[in-house]
Amino acid sequence: MAFSDLREFIAALDKSGDLVRVKKEVDWDMEVGAISRRVFERAGPALLFEKIKDYPPGYAILNGPVATWRRVAIALGLPPDTAVREIYAAYEERREKKLKPVVVKSAPCQENAMTGPEADIYRLPAPMVHDGDGGRYIGTWDIVITKDPDTGWSNWGMYRFMTHTQNMLTGWPQATSQLAMMMKAKYLPRKQPMPIAIVIGCESLCHMVATDPYKPGESEVEYAGGLRGAPVELVQCKSQDLMVPAHAEIVIEGEVLPDKIAHEGPFGEYPGYRSGTMSEGVLVQITAITHRTNPIITLSTLGVPPDDSSIAASLTAAIAMKRGLKRHGVPVREVYVPPEGVTHLIVVSVERGGSRVARQVLDYFTARRVMVSKIIVVDKDLDPFDMNQVIHAFATKCHPAKGITVEHYEGRANALTPCFSAEERRRLKGASVVFDATWPEDWEEESIPVKSSFETTYREAVRQKVLANWESYGLGGKP
Amino acid sequence: MKKEYVTFVRRLSDLGDGKETLFIKDLTPGPRKYDTKLVRAELSRNSGNLPDGDTLWIRSETGHLHPQPWSIKILEELPPYAPGQPWQDVFSSLRHLKS
Ligand SMILES: Cc1cc2nc3c(=O)[nH]c(=O)nc-3n(C[C@H](O)[C@H](O)[C@H](O)COP(=O)(O)O)c2cc1C
Ligand SMILES: [Mn+2]
Repeated sequence: MAFSDLREFIAALDKSGDLVRVKKEVDWDMEVGAISRRVFERAGPALLFEKIKDYPPGYAILNGPVATWRRVAIALGLPPDTAVREIYAAYEERREKKLKPVVVKSAPCQENAMTGPEADIYRLPAPMVHDGDGGRYIGTWDIVITKDPDTGWSNWGMYRFMTHTQNMLTGWPQATSQLAMMMKAKYLPRKQPMPIAIVIGCESLCHMVATDPYKPGESEVEYAGGLRGAPVELVQCKSQDLMVPAHAEIVIEGEVLPDKIAHEGPFGEYPGYRSGTMSEGVLVQITAITHRTNPIITLSTLGVPPDDSSIAASLTAAIAMKRGLKRHGVPVREVYVPPEGVTHLIVVSVERGGSRVARQVLDYFTARRVMVSKIIVVDKDLDPFDMNQVIHAFATKCHPAKGITVEHYEGRANALTPCFSAEERRRLKGASVVFDATWPEDWEEESIPVKSSFETTYREAVRQKVLANWESYGLGGKP
Repeated sequence: MKKEYVTFVRRLSDLGDGKETLFIKDLTPGPRKYDTKLVRAELSRNSGNLPDGDTLWIRSETGHLHPQPWSIKILEELPPYAPGQPWQDVFSSLRHLKS
């Protein structure tokens, strides 16, 4: 059954032993971040900080809702110990489903409201996440909603937002994001502000959908319904013509200003570095803040993996890539995005390899906004989810001269990729590389090296005999 | 008591002694810590030159903290934004604001 809100999800994490409630008072200024970071780096539980310095008792911060595979499985309603490949399969299968949302008149997210000049972001415990960030980030694990004024289509995306003043936020939806496309195409030419809602604290599948690169015009709220197996309940905002999830903890309503900008960033980002994107974003005038009684801020203290980005968002990225590669004509079997590679390193398993297929894969990844840095293409003779096997194939099958192809581009590189220079990052100039760890298509079967493994190097009869006699050898372990 | 602020620059060399227009964040502890102001201010890398100035910490675009703070004397508080379109560079907008 779908979780109706974040609180039900928290209760499930509590029950499965995947959550710790921190009852001791903690400081929103770096202490919450430092604790969260240390727990991420030990692949520890989600943390619910229940007492925050300077704020009323009951105001809480939840770090890392889906930063382990167990928590992703729980979010999807699967047994906590579901294997990664099965989690991928479940997400892939449900990602295609759509369920229309249901509109409700009254909503938990509007139990409390601060409107107009009363709106004061400092009444919520936005954390100062990392020492050296540009400010306090209220939006780290959020859902940002904007609407196309002509078609009525609402986009959902996850983008960082920082407190600027009492009633202003600055944020950094990348210039290549759907939010940016909409602002540039529909609002800037008319010199109009764009209504925006920054939604914090929904059950986790809604947030995961916001990280998933659905195409413009695709209604993420319907996909969130499909993924949950239950429609999302929406409510009309108080001060903007936008619909938001009724069970959210916090909704910040406002307008992206078409003619004013302000300082934003930097922020310790998902590649695991603070690589210097700053003051090239948007300024939001807050028009209302609504929240549940005793609101819970969802937080992801991004950094070196694992965290919610390298686990949950890598999953949504992988499934989107697999679909895209298929559509591009690549004979793709599976795509794995290892959390350690922070969506910079992608493993693509193909039905048949060779340099032509590797080139096709690289073309797909570099055609539009490029988020990916390195791709390893592997044959179907190994498990792409097992990085030991992937490294073995990369080390042995990728020709150091002929097996590597680089594509350079400008204007669409990932501004957060740490190996690009400050100048390259500013110009969105970069390169991606494919490592072809498959056998060339023109090699004769008889001259292809034979893998020396139990499975591949012995005849069936020998393997059967060894397995049948395994226990009698006195070696222990399962046959 | 001197107040403390922090500002962000792309490079330290972007900042000079004398009058500047810059965003600063108020480091006074409490629930409004890090509130941002846009100010016209007198800056000095040597606090002796601005005896009644406050402390200004400086961080780079990657958040590196420069070990030596500067001094700042706020001359005028401006509305907390610069003119410009979303995704434009805020620093070049501030430079235009000055001239
Ligand atoms: C934790 C997290 C934080 C993110 N922050 C940003 C961000 O600040 N700016 C951005 O452009 N994308 C960010 N992303 C990536 C976007 O959510 C992703 O590209 C998504 O597809 C954006 O929605 P869109 O396709 O509607 O633009 C973030 C992803 C995650 C998982
Ligand atoms: Mn979207």
